[in-house]
Amino acid sequence: MNLRSKLRLFFSCLLFAVIFGCTQHPQDKTAQLAPKYSLYILAKDGSNYLIETSSLATGTLSPENDGVAIDADQISRADLVKDGYYYDLDERTGQFAKYTINNKKLKQIAAITLKNFSIENFEWFGSDTLLLTGLNHIKDSEVVYNLITTTNMKVVKAGKMDIPKPQGIFNNISVGVVERRNNQLFVGYTYHQLLSPSSYHTSDTVYLSTLKYPEMKAEKLTKDTRSTYPGGINTIQPYSFNDEQGNYYVMTCPGIALGNRPELPTALMRIQRGEQQIDQNYFFDLSGSIIQNHAYGIWYVGHNYAIVRSERKDLYKDLNDHYETAHFSYYLIDVLNRKVIERLKLPLDRGTRKNCIIVEGDVVYIAINSKTEGNYIWQYHLKTKVLQKGLQLNGSTDYILRID
Amino acid sequence: MVSLPIQTNDQQMKISKELIEKFHRDECSSEEKEFVQQWLFNDDGEELVDFNETEKELHKVQMWDEIRTILPQENHPIQQQRTARFQFWKGAIAASIVFVLLISGVAIYQHNSKNSVLQWVDVENTSGIQVKYVDSKDFKLSVGPNTSAKIDQLTGIVDLAGSLLIQPKEDIELEFTGATKKMSFKKGQTYIILKGKDGKDQVIIINEKNLIDLPPIIQKQIINEFKI
Repeated sequence: MNLRSKLRLFFSCLLFAVIFGCTQHPQDKTAQLAPKYSLYILAKDGSNYLIETSSLATGTLSPENDGVAIDADQISRADLVKDGYYYDLDERTGQFAKYTINNKKLKQIAAITLKNFSIENFEWFGSDTLLLTGLNHIKDSEVVYNLITTTNMKVVKAGKMDIPKPQGIFNNISVGVVERRNNQLFVGYTYHQLLSPSSYHTSDTVYLSTLKYPEMKAEKLTKDTRSTYPGGINTIQPYSFNDEQGNYYVMTCPGIALGNRPELPTALMRIQRGEQQIDQNYFFDLSGSIIQNHAYGIWYVGHNYAIVRSERKDLYKDLNDHYETAHFSYYLIDVLNRKVIERLKLPLDRGTRKNCIIVEGDVVYIAINSKTEGNYIWQYHLKTKVLQKGLQLNGSTDYILRID
Repeated sequence: MVSLPIQTNDQQMKISKELIEKFHRDECSSEEKEFVQQWLFNDDGEELVDFNETEKELHKVQMWDEIRTILPQENHPIQQQRTARFQFWKGAIAASIVFVLLISGVAIYQHNSKNSVLQWVDVENTSGIQVKYVDSKDFKLSVGPNTSAKIDQLTGIVDLAGSLLIQPKEDIELEFTGATKKMSFKKGQTYIILKGKDGKDQVIIINEKNLIDLPPIIQKQIINEFKI
């Protein structure tokens, strides 16, 4: 090593020390506050990061400086985040693990094996009981469940659900919504016919089974052909909610990204409190409203209002560019009166599916990946309808796939 | 970036002086480059210039004029000699330019052929469960069950019926039957390519990192097939 390269090494080390020496202190301070939020970032190079932060309202963060690089096999974007813990199923190994982040390191706390299982839907019962509904990995037509207590990570109960297997031309099933009402469970689903590796056909019907809980025995089956594909995989994005009165709303998703029956409308259906079947007097045709497009994902913001995330068929071509083209809009809707209130004046968003909204009182946080205005968590004030930019995600951020 | 030769059926390209000049200025598109190279090494290609009758006559006159200048003429013996010498050098220079161009053309062709021509791949996986793995010099392939995949070296078109995972070793561009434009594939990344046997079936090309953006019913099939 000559003097010049020695000096170069010396000064680069010095620079490194100075930069990290300076930034270490404020980070330590923020780490003392319990991080309230978690962001799942897909970076431009394809790597995944988790960023924990105490505020979505201000500041700038980048995954490489502020995040924890994670292996998507360990924690995927289909993870569950609750009370500072991350839960994720690795479908290859069947390992369902519980993690926490400590000093910017991911630490596995416990793991159980859920064999041949893929998650279609999750629902928390209280703070520590989790119902995972899914399909048998080998036979995709068999609907099965695992009831887990997450404090000790034990499977309390598991088995088949009494849901009719696909018949006739159909060879596959999607469970889109699962909702518990005391000792009953509503399971919304539809059937598919796989035609080739790149194409499939979906039934034109929404199926709703009422099962006795926890026996999982069928009590009632109702069908509705006003739309199809109720819900979706809710670990990725929510598709249903309860209002303050206990009425249960379900979004149907026949657009190309889910049901692939674009001739049917994206709609809201309802099961009224105390009822066991879909309300035939209620149907909110979102595609037929001023939205004029299919939508995927709904977030209830309170007082009969919800936000839906809708695509723009005039801006994308097909499935190949559906996720990367900026074409998603957000609409505030009045679910009770079946009215679209307004389109949120946000930049067009990217990403076919994202868990990108958190509601806190009168403030809605929305993660937007714009091609022109960057990656921001926007704040939408429900009372004033004012929108403003909050936390910025820069560096290698490509998509903010979830905020929890 | 490596590109593949593509078919030019839709537009009939013609060899012209402008095109050859463009070729040597290295301003040609990959199709044009390919076309010039093909012409260069093809014996029975079309003529460089197709003259019509008036042009023929014009060139005839010009040629005779040139010949006349080197023929012995009583009145201007010195000038004739000079012109003849000049013409000799002119010919020699022209010949050497042609020679240099030809050599550089061969060099360019050889240089390009090293990178631009992908290894021919023709895989038929008849297994209903197993995935077949191919490790070529340009990419790694995982060929799904009941899949046939051909990468045609001449046309540069990928013919696929089934499911395929591709991991390029260099940045490459591929064109697919049924797709309208070429797609870029980045070195080291993994891409999922899906297409049914039916010619009308859509081609789906997606980076593995965006797998969850595909419809769940298609996703599940890929996850089950490739165990990813």
